[in-house]
Amino acid sequence: MSAPVIEVEDLWVRLRGQTVLEGVNLAVHPDDFYAIIGPNGGGKTTLLRAILGLLTPCRGEIRILGSKDAAMRRHLGYVPQFRTFDFQYPITVREMVLSGRLGHITRRPRRYGTEDHARVDEALETMHITDLAERQIQNLSGGEQQRAIIARALAGDPKVLLLDEPTVYVDVPTEVQFYGILDRLRDRMAVVFVTHDIGVLPGLVTKVACLNRRLYTHDTNEVTPDMLEAAYHCPVDLIAHGVPHRVFPEHSEEG
Amino acid sequence: MLEVLGFEFFRNALVAGALASVACGVIGTYVVVRRMVAISGGISHAAFGGIGLGYFLGIDPLIGATGFTVATALGMGALQLRAKQQMDTIIGAVWAAGMALGILFVYLTPGFAPDLFSYLFGNILLVPRGDILMMAILVVIIVTVVALFYLELQAITFDPDYAAVMNLPVERLSLLLLVLIALTVVMLIRVVGIILVIALLTLPAAISRLYTTRIWSMMVGAVVLGISFTMAGMWLSYLLDVPSGATIILVSTLAYAGSLGIERLRLGD
Repeated sequence: MSAPVIEVEDLWVRLRGQTVLEGVNLAVHPDDFYAIIGPNGGGKTTLLRAILGLLTPCRGEIRILGSKDAAMRRHLGYVPQFRTFDFQYPITVREMVLSGRLGHITRRPRRYGTEDHARVDEALETMHITDLAERQIQNLSGGEQQRAIIARALAGDPKVLLLDEPTVYVDVPTEVQFYGILDRLRDRMAVVFVTHDIGVLPGLVTKVACLNRRLYTHDTNEVTPDMLEAAYHCPVDLIAHGVPHRVFPEHSEEG
Repeated sequence: MLEVLGFEFFRNALVAGALASVACGVIGTYVVVRRMVAISGGISHAAFGGIGLGYFLGIDPLIGATGFTVATALGMGALQLRAKQQMDTIIGAVWAAGMALGILFVYLTPGFAPDLFSYLFGNILLVPRGDILMMAILVVIIVTVVALFYLELQAITFDPDYAAVMNLPVERLSLLLLVLIALTVVMLIRVVGIILVIALLTLPAAISRLYTTRIWSMMVGAVVLGISFTMAGMWLSYLLDVPSGATIILVSTLAYAGSLGIERLRLGD
């Protein structure tokens, strides 16, 4: 197996006096399509923010491509939660996607070069939004905005794509299309996404982990009842309702 | 109307208005898109403390104001990074404390503070030559810094988290932006006064935002609108023989209300 893209070792995070993450270990490999599920407030966003260097853990280590250097974050493609965006901001799709290149620019003052523009054209093409490039992000539909946000992450030529609750605010057809896009990207990069809604786990997921302060991993794409029980601290059938069967092992006895 | 152009004070006033409008349009754009109106209000009112200090020390009050507002901006920026929750209370406290300090300093200064009123409400017709030179230097500094850091400032005002992931020095850039706001505020004090600064800083940019899709085009629009409002305000105040700062602000506010009304009609059909 190839070397991991992201390694998280014994990670502890405290926020405002509360322990949010406790002894979390995680390894993401280049061919992983990783789903991290867990209840709201379980620390999913915190784990992503720690990996992205947006908060300082009180203990533990995070390595990107084997290095702890902050500059390594340019290899991460971050797709934040949709609702955190200020879509009123006067910025065009192209400008927003270009900003995904900022981590790669070494000359000062920072200016975009031909390489940056080429990568952006590629990312717009991949997300099928080339014809929207000069539009202000405000004037796009929800699904188009979502694709623009992913295009920004792709422009940085990431080794891994990190998505925070990517499907919460999109409707079902958009969601299906969305997983189709991720499926096309997976041979180029690892994918990690966190969600509180285990009903959305698509068949393309290769690994699942449950997060509720501690991370419960299982090296298959199956969610076992005891993982859920451990993560959610409640009877499994309560939340297992409506989960596509392929996610569960054949022999599972719910509840 | 045209005969007043023969007076040097009026030509100075026109130049001062134009220079202030350039700073307002450029920096006001960030204030509006990043929703920093409250913190800018705090910074501008804290400037009164610096004016008072200037009187007390017997130096140019505007130099006192420059030092004081820059220090306040840096202090508030440092607090903002550490105490996000209480920020609006902190802004309120700084706002009032700055004014209170100004009053105390003026009280402690022997003699009468002759043009105190013009610092509060502005008097563009009294701007001396030396101040015009200082305003021009500040405009050059502001425009140069924004041109150099255009991409960085766009990134930190649009999505600071992503800017941090891109390894930009988000904290230092945020402080830089606050210092630019402080310098702009100092420039505006001569034109419209401390109390009215916030309107000229935000209204042209807010109107421009309705019709633009990029930061730089929003800036250009805001500069053009700012120049129009200051010129229209000065002309009206001359015609009606009323204070210029207040007239400029009322012209801007009416234009803002009008543009919002038109926008509602346009969107609501």
